[in-house]
Amino acid sequence: ALLASHRSYRSRPTHGIGRFKYLLPKEVPKRRKEKVQMKEISAGTEYQYGDINIQLTSHDLCLVERFAQYVHRLCNRLCIRVTESYAMPTKTNEVLFLEERGSKMQLDAVLTTHQRVVQIRGLSSTFAPILLEVIQSSQPEGVHLLMKQHTEADFKSRLKARPELEELLAEMS
Amino acid sequence: SAAARRPWRLFGAMCLLRLPRITQPLEKEEEEVAALMEQIELERSLYSDHEMRKLEEEEQLKKKMESLYDEDEAHGKTVIMAQDLEEKWEQKFLRFKAAPRITDADKSNDRTSLNRKLDSNLMLLVKQKIGNQELWLLPQVEWQPGETLRSTAERAMATFLGDHIQAKVLGNAPFGIYKYKFPKAMRTENNVGAKVFFFKAFLQSSDLSQAKLKADYLWVTKKELGDHLQSEYLKKVNRFLLD
Repeated sequence: ALLASHRSYRSRPTHGIGRFKYLLPKEVPKRRKEKVQMKEISAGTEYQYGDINIQLTSHDLCLVERFAQYVHRLCNRLCIRVTESYAMPTKTNEVLFLEERGSKMQLDAVLTTHQRVVQIRGLSSTFAPILLEVIQSSQPEGVHLLMKQHTEADFKSRLKARPELEELLAEMS
Repeated sequence: SAAARRPWRLFGAMCLLRLPRITQPLEKEEEEVAALMEQIELERSLYSDHEMRKLEEEEQLKKKMESLYDEDEAHGKTVIMAQDLEEKWEQKFLRFKAAPRITDADKSNDRTSLNRKLDSNLMLLVKQKIGNQELWLLPQVEWQPGETLRSTAERAMATFLGDHIQAKVLGNAPFGIYKYKFPKAMRTENNVGAKVFFFKAFLQSSDLSQAKLKADYLWVTKKELGDHLQSEYLKKVNRFLLD
């Protein structure tokens, strides 16, 4: 045959001309359940920290998000591996003033606390204080900074409790 | 041979930083951009609950003024008007007094106090006697064999400021090094010169109950370092200081 391709065509000759998915390598479908533990190095011979969480807390949402973005980009720039960058659920506090002058008035104020976490791995111990100083000196007003090692408890706090599953497990065992 | 003593003497020095308490003032361009962004946000934003309530109440007031007819259903709710709330908040705000950004120490340029220049880092400088000269240096102490350099630096801090300072030392690795050779008259086989290793620490508590020997101390910012330090020393120290 003169034509090398053997495109099966229905009514028109150009049927299936844009097909390319059959050329790509086969993708394994991703499992939805997340693996719990990742490896943790702490003070190995090369003096590296394991997973470190940089937690930024504030009442002002835009500020804390922008600061989290800044920290993430700073780490990218300095070639530090950022494993995860996530947000913790916001906590709402209602502030009630009980003034007892004359008529009892209650002034309500609603304060929301937002938290963003940037997780870092592979920080060398000679570089860690410099990073800490840079982040501290560029902290905006009203943002609290906390750097701590990542533990399983931190990971579990992100997951929701499933009471039905626990009940079933309790019934089974 | 491997066991021969090195000819350099080692010192550990501590650079004690007091962190800034307020943010630095914005540059001109930053201020303009901030004002512009605020205006854009204001124009694009929607009314909040409080503002909606205020508008509704204003309309009701107007209706009441023009045509004197009362709607008993709608008026039952509004005990406190939104306008009153706003006025109350305004008064509360006016009663609040912010602390001054430029303190007295700034005006008198008193370099020994910690209250000056609240928006930049302050470093501790001490006058020490080296050889024959009295120089302004970061507090340093000679290294004793058998202790880590970091503990030497902590000891240096303790000798000049007393034992119970809450300072957080950053890491075990030194931040900088300055080495110099002694003048020819002082050189022997074992004593060619000295190496000074710098460590950094953050001051946690802001008030120092200063008890120990204070032998002329100063708290200076990075720009004012040049007034007090020698040029070579200054060059090496400037390398590890962030603004």
